[in-house]
Amino acid sequence: MKTLADLKKIREKAQEDMKLRGGNVRIKIVVGMGTSGIAMGAREVMKTFLEEIAARNLTDVLVTQTGEKGLSSMEPVVDLIEDGKTKVTYGNMNPDKVKKVVVEHIVNGRVVSDYVVATGN
Amino acid sequence: MQDISLHLLDIIENSVRADAKCVKVRVINNVTKNRLRIIVEDDGAGMDAHTLQKAQDPFYTSKEERVKKVGLGIPLFKQNAELVGGSFKMASEPGFGTVLTVDFPLDHIDRMPLGNLKDTLLGSIIGHPEVDFFIHLLYRDKAKELCFHFDTKAIREELGDIPLTYPDVIEYIDQSLFEGIQNTNMEDV
Repeated sequence: MKTLADLKKIREKAQEDMKLRGGNVRIKIVVGMGTSGIAMGAREVMKTFLEEIAARNLTDVLVTQTGEKGLSSMEPVVDLIEDGKTKVTYGNMNPDKVKKVVVEHIVNGRVVSDYVVATGN
Repeated sequence: MQDISLHLLDIIENSVRADAKCVKVRVINNVTKNRLRIIVEDDGAGMDAHTLQKAQDPFYTSKEERVKKVGLGIPLFKQNAELVGGSFKMASEPGFGTVLTVDFPLDHIDRMPLGNLKDTLLGSIIGHPEVDFFIHLLYRDKAKELCFHFDTKAIREELGDIPLTYPDVIEYIDQSLFEGIQNTNMEDV
């Protein structure tokens, strides 16, 4: 059974980690979680991002959910927001595409242009 | 939507968009009463009687910017419950919040499955670190009662400034929910 004592250990480890690296968030991922996004598989997209972050130990990435943004025909939709760079919106996402975006864009810094449906605001 | 937990995810998003600071989710699998009950309670903006009525209309949305005036989340959930003889109730008070109670008859052959409750809860909790989630799962039959509580406030207090998206924290929450869902017989409902 998981207990709060386990969290204490995680906190100690995380604090060490942050001392070494600083606690900055480098990339923010925003998954569109409106009704049509959910119906098209946004929950699996969110889950895959979380799995990949945990598996690759990405400590400088933040994932959040938001409502619909008027791109219903391209759901599930995901925004990648990086400090000092133009916002990139990926559309028609699925777990396989998420894995590719994590490797290419988040780890290696190359936008996966095949999946991009919009840039900027 | 293919399952109840996808509807639940949609309803939680409504609560968050209504600026809820705390969302309480209860799933009660009551074999004795042949009833699967979902309760979502938030302390968001709430709705007046007129808006509450309109929220169940598919051609109504609270989103001003939307060109096509549709809002299918609540109507679809209601329809899926009522189609199998279940019920859908919403109560709200402006300034205090909204409570939604949805009942499904457990043994109806056309009832949607509960689905992946874990991923719904995991996504909502981590995707909205500014919101406190209080999860309560309850299983009841003639012989026993099993329950699981999960409160993100306690976790956040323990973590201090460590974000919920920290890799080990994601795994911790995922594992906790997994155990809770198993211990209350909520998988394959």
